[in-house]
Amino acid sequence: MSVKLTEKSLSVSRAYDELEGPGLGGIVLFVGRVRPDRKGLQRVEALLYEAHRPLALAAFRKLERDARQRLGASRVVIWHRLGRLPVGTASVIIGVAMAHREAAFAACRALIDRLKREVPLWKVDQVRPEHRRRKLPSPSAGR
Amino acid sequence: MGGTIRILCFAMAREATGHALLEWPAPSEGVSVRDLLQQLCEKYPRLLPVLRVSRLVRNDRYLGKATGRLRAGDEFAIHPPYSGG
Repeated sequence: MSVKLTEKSLSVSRAYDELEGPGLGGIVLFVGRVRPDRKGLQRVEALLYEAHRPLALAAFRKLERDARQRLGASRVVIWHRLGRLPVGTASVIIGVAMAHREAAFAACRALIDRLKREVPLWKVDQVRPEHRRRKLPSPSAGR
Repeated sequence: MGGTIRILCFAMAREATGHALLEWPAPSEGVSVRDLLQQLCEKYPRLLPVLRVSRLVRNDRYLGKATGRLRAGDEFAIHPPYSGG
């Protein structure tokens, strides 16, 4: 599947399999992972990812279509994980397969940049218990 | 007899209201988006700065402006700035 939102772990090798094809000389994969917090305080233990699913999937399909039609991508993967992801976990995989590497790098970069700007996805810090001030409600079920 | 409007609150909006989903009473004639936002801010003052930077969605369609009416059965979503990836 070229676009998906999932609670399950993301597999780089499966993404690569989706992108393989004859005549495709360049495959670029970007994997985004959950970082520890920037200040180095070890405050964040995980990120909670949520999406407005119908709109996020529609936005993914638009990104995929644009990558094919405007950027000339032959194959595209846009996968994003949802739910509670501990530090170090892969949260997103963007993959592009094209005839040549330069165009593939550019398309992959454009896709992750647009995903961050245009797709209704959010991440909220889950801080370690000793740093918590109050409990947050859970995201809406099924959305 | 009015029903309710489902209000989806994501991320910062959820933090500001304390709810991921609000079932908001809707009068039979509906309520304007502007009035609904005002009511929400009166009940959840921390939502005001979030709304200033949020996109609004009615029944899975983005609203260009905070105009129009919402009726019972409608779904309304508050989208704070996106932060996927």
